[in-house]
Parts: sequence; C-alpha cells; structure tokens
Amino acid sequence: MTVSTKDSRSSFSRRWNSMNAREARLAWALILPTALIVFGLILFPAVFSVWISFRDVGLKNLNDVFQAPFVGLDNYRAVINDFAFKWQGWQSWGAAVTSIVYSFSATILTMIIGLIASLLLNRPFRARGLARAIFLFPYVAPIVSIAFVWRWILDPRPSGVLNDILMKLSLIELPKAYLATRGLALVLVIIFTAWRYFPFAMLMILARLQAIDNTMYEAADVDGANAWHKFLYITIPELRYVLGSIFLLRLIWTFNKFDDIYLLTGGGFGTNVLPVLTYQFSFGSFNFGKGAANAMILLIILVVFLLIYVSTIMRSAEE
Amino acid sequence: MSLIDHLAQWINWPRFIFSVTLIFFLTSILFPFYWMVSSSFKTYAEIGGRAPVYIPGDLRPEAYLELFDFWNFGANIANSLKVAVPTALIAVILSTLGAYAVARLNFKGKNVMLNGILIVYLFPGILLIIPLFAMVSRIGVSIGFEIQDNLSVLILTYLAQTLPVALYMLANYFRTIPAEIEQAGLIDGCSRVSVIWRVTLPLAVPALISVAIYTFMIAWNEFLYALVFLNSRDLFTMPIKINTIFNDPSPRPHVVMAASTIMTLPVVTLFLALERFLAEGLTAGGVKG
Repeated sequence: MTVSTKDSRSSFSRRWNSMNAREARLAWALILPTALIVFGLILFPAVFSVWISFRDVGLKNLNDVFQAPFVGLDNYRAVINDFAFKWQGWQSWGAAVTSIVYSFSATILTMIIGLIASLLLNRPFRARGLARAIFLFPYVAPIVSIAFVWRWILDPRPSGVLNDILMKLSLIELPKAYLATRGLALVLVIIFTAWRYFPFAMLMILARLQAIDNTMYEAADVDGANAWHKFLYITIPELRYVLGSIFLLRLIWTFNKFDDIYLLTGGGFGTNVLPVLTYQFSFGSFNFGKGAANAMILLIILVVFLLIYVSTIMRSAEE
Repeated sequence: MSLIDHLAQWINWPRFIFSVTLIFFLTSILFPFYWMVSSSFKTYAEIGGRAPVYIPGDLRPEAYLELFDFWNFGANIANSLKVAVPTALIAVILSTLGAYAVARLNFKGKNVMLNGILIVYLFPGILLIIPLFAMVSRIGVSIGFEIQDNLSVLILTYLAQTLPVALYMLANYFRTIPAEIEQAGLIDGCSRVSVIWRVTLPLAVPALISVAIYTFMIAWNEFLYALVFLNSRDLFTMPIKINTIFNDPSPRPHVVMAASTIMTLPVVTLFLALERFLAEGLTAGGVKG
C-alpha cells in the first residue's frame, strides 16, 4: 500500500515538475487573463442572453434578473408578430428582410469597389503610398463623425450641399430629403456602407494581387491575350479564395452592424435592420426579453447562412 | 502648347480611364473630410444661409469656442482618453502574454482555446449588450452601489472586444521570430521570463505598436457600448457627446463638425504617420469594423 502511494506520488511529482508540465502551466498562466476577460464578457453573456430570451425581463426586475419569470416562447412570438419585424408586402419590408437585403447588397458593392480600388493601387504611379493611405481614411475615421458628415452633406434643405450641386446641374428641380425617402434611404445606406468599408476589401485583395506570380501574365502576353482576358482568366481565379473570405467576413459584420444605420437614419424610412430593432426593443421600450429574442433570431439567421455557405460554396471550392 | 503636346503624347485609353477613376475615388473620399473641416470654421450665419458656403470666408473659431465654453467638450476629450489609453495599454500587456503562450508553448487545449477565442469574435455586439447590461445592474445590487455609470466598465468591455484580434496579430508576429534566438538565450542560462523580456519583446516592438494603436482606435471610436452604459453627462465620451449635440433641438451642424474634426484628427494623423505597418495589421487580424 504505502509503497504504491509513494510510487504514484513520485511519478506525479515527476510529471508535475517535468519540462512539458512546467511549460504548460506557464502557458496557462500567461493566457489566463485574456481567456477570463473574453469568456466572462463574451461567452458567458452570449449564453446568458439565450436564457434572457425565454424570460420576462423589464426595467422593474432587471436588478433581480435571475428570478425573472419564465415565459416560454412568448418573446419570440412577440418579435415575429411585431410589425417592425415581419414582412408586410413591398411597402413595408420589416427588419428581417431589410437586414438580409442590406447586408448582401452592401457586401457585394463593398467588394466591387474594393476590387476596383485595389486594381488602381496595384499599378505603380507617383505618390502611390500616399494614395493608399488616403484610401484608408473612411475605414479608420470614427463612425460618429463620418455618419454626421454624410447627414450634413445629404441635408434636406436647399442649402444642403448635395441638393445644391444637383440643382445647379439641373438633375433635380426640388431639394430632396434623401435619408427620409423610403427606398432612396436604403440605397444611400448601402452606398454609405460600401464607401466606408471598401478599404478592408481593398487591403486584402491588394495583398493577394502582389503575390500573383508575374510569369503567368508574361506567358499570357506571349499568347497574345489582352488586358481583359488576363483579368478574367488569371487575376479573378487567383483572387477566388481571398474574395470568398472577404465576402464571408464582411457579410457577418455588416449583418451585425448597429452604428451605421442607427446614426444615419435611426432605423426609419425602410432602413430598420435587426440590430437597430434589438436596440429599440431593449433600450427604447425596455423589454429586454423581447430584445434578446430578436438578437437570437439575428444569430440564428447568421448561423443558418454560415452552414449553407460552408456546405455549398466551400465544398464546391474543394472540388 | 508644349504642355498640351506632352499630355497628348502621354495619354492613351488605359491611362485616361486610370486617371479618371483615381480622381473619382480621391474626390469621393476626401470631399466629406473637407466638408467636415471647412464646416467647422463657418459661422452660424454661413451654416444657416440659403445656399451652402463652399469655402468659409475666414478661419473663424466660433464653433470651437461654443464647443468648449458652452458644451464643455474638454471633459469629453478627457473621458475618451481615460478610456482609450488604459484599454490600449492593458490590451498590449495581456495579449503579449497570451500570444507568447500561443506561439511558443505547447499545452493541452490550445487549439480549443484559440478557436473559442476567435469564434466569440463573430458574436454581434448588440446581442452581448443586453446580458452585459443585466449583469452590470445585478452586480451593482450585490455590492450596494451603481457601477453602470463607470468608465472602467467600458474599458473591460473594450478589452473583451479587442483582445481576440490583438492576440491573433501578436501570435502571428511572434511566430515570425525564429525560436532559435530564444533557445540560445535559454542555453546561456537566462530564465524564460528574461528571454521574453530581453530578446522577444524588443524584436516585436513594431507589432506591439500596431496592436496599441489598433485597440486605441477601437476604444476611441466605439459608440454602442458607451451609449448604453453611460448616463451622466459628465462621463460621456466624445461619440456620445457628439450624438447629444447633433440631437439638440436647435441644429448646430458647425459645432457638430468642429467636434467631429477634433475626434477624427488624431486617428487620421496616427494612421498617416504609421500607415505602413498598420495596414498590414489591419489585414492580418481582420480588424472588425
């Protein structure tokens, strides 16, 4: 008995003091603060918000949230039947459809503009470094300043600068309320998103462009290919993977985006998307249960999309 | 005449399309920034006139004076600094430790942990704010005082938002530093900690700076969490204060533009000065925006 205990203890202490074990303990000690903050402030809240979405949580019982009454799927039913959420025909899309239309078209436009910008900057010219830095401005400048500058440019009064320019060019007769017109507002929000986020796509594409083997273009020159053919048959195939990952990342981020639309239109005039609606449920009418349910629906749509993407696009890319 | 000749010789279709596109990009990017800065120097009369004033008559600091005297914007600048500087410093320290472990040491559960940290990065901020808000008020009840209106709550949430990318960027950088350099130090009898301190960190300075600036920028620009967590006007960070001024019943676009200029200038200047390795960091980590 005693011998075996002694034996196992010494083997334990050997393992405890071995090089690998000491290294592993050091590693855990080093990564622990980061892990605690990230899991405590992201993973736990994410699980907790599932819990909240099944409870009746308002301002009154927020301090006592763990005792909040269980209401089953009531919050989900309330969201799905809310006129701000559901599709009610072409006049009123509802936040779910608007979100999907907004994020897909903004992502695609972002990628097209990013591709054009990266092709521009891939050509050598004087002051290319400066141009590249300027191209990044929309992406790094604070969203609050950017959104308010655009609202000021799109000011509905005749003194608004876009109104003034378009009226001087006689493209419009009367001043327009750009961000307060159904349809036009959504289009402008999409253009704004593309304007702000194209530099991300541009940087990723540029990095890939510069890694393309130049001999392929030289071989194409020998074969007498023109610029368009070289673009179509060399550049685009080479960019396939990077374009795929930009699409995925930007789509997720655009779908989750709150600030841009909240600051530009406040979610009015046919631009209400799911993140803004979540904010309105939770911090406008202080129905946190309904807000959490709305956020969960947002997440479910996102996960369903990711599953479809991974199972179709990724598989076809492998083949 | 010779200039036109020269131009006529230089120009061809590809060059023409290239120049036109480049000019289009530059104007549509720079015009909003020009409009922001120039509007901030206009007077109330110029702002409220019947037609827009394209070039302000004079560099009049009227809007800036109103911003600091009436709106007390200095306090908001201080608040933003009080949030962004600690976030950047703590993020650099914590992510250096974590990234070193990820890049150099082997331990069980490393890949699970890494994937976990990266997956949480895809959660929308709006989903997390409701439970965080509830947690903060619940904790406030437990310890007996309100912690909601507190800048350190913001620092913690910004750390949670930025640490995953910071860790990822730094771990990638550490992997580019050859492990042999460190092993040489270990053989010479240095401890692991002193090897990190004397060998690895000095080599990683560019990456550390870009992580610091990236986290600073996120904390400086952040809107949603500050909007939800801050109630008292004395604690407003710049984005929330600008939102308040914008929503004032009497529109004051020139003051909003002055505040926006003050907020944008440091970020854009930092970026222009350090563009070369910041741009790399942006793509390496896929900075969330």
